[in-house]
Amino acid sequence: MSRDYEAVYIFDSTLEDAAITDKLTRYHGMLKADGEVKTDHWGRRQLAYPIGPRENGYYVVARFNTDPKTLPEYERALKLDDGVVRYLVTLHENEVGAPPMSEEELLAARRREEDDEDED
Amino acid sequence: MRRAQKSCPFCETRVRFIDYKDDRTLGRFITDHGKILPSRLSGVCARHQRQLSTAVKRARYLAIIPYIRGHQA
Repeated sequence: MSRDYEAVYIFDSTLEDAAITDKLTRYHGMLKADGEVKTDHWGRRQLAYPIGPRENGYYVVARFNTDPKTLPEYERALKLDDGVVRYLVTLHENEVGAPPMSEEELLAARRREEDDEDED
Repeated sequence: MRRAQKSCPFCETRVRFIDYKDDRTLGRFITDHGKILPSRLSGVCARHQRQLSTAVKRARYLAIIPYIRGHQA
């Protein structure tokens, strides 16, 4: 049985963009994902606290659907890679419970949220 | 400190799952030092408070929000 996952990687910010894309292709190849792996590059971003000597990291969010059996090998590769400062793999939560909100609902929610912030 | 709210801000906006990657939202539910704001102050319902707690901890691990803020070593 395959499940939906979301992974966040923090790469060393000194790596070239091409090297990061390279690594991503390699890791995602190990997953043998059903359908495509959707990636979202946040790019370089300041870390909220220093991790070792690093103040910045290159963030990438990936979503994929795969069999859990492929995960141990993939995670082992991530752990061994010095270019990956941190990573987190979570079950993508829309899978459990209700379907995600529609576009209009999201928009309304966002508007509400902004109103809220004005009060502070 | 935030004043107590009548109802859960997540329920009001019909949030189903709290996103650990959304630092702006999480930032509203942590104190100046980075602690998770108790639900009695924020008015968050029990279900969302549980989700919030997990989300904050994930965000901390990913250095999206700090574990501690304003501490001089």
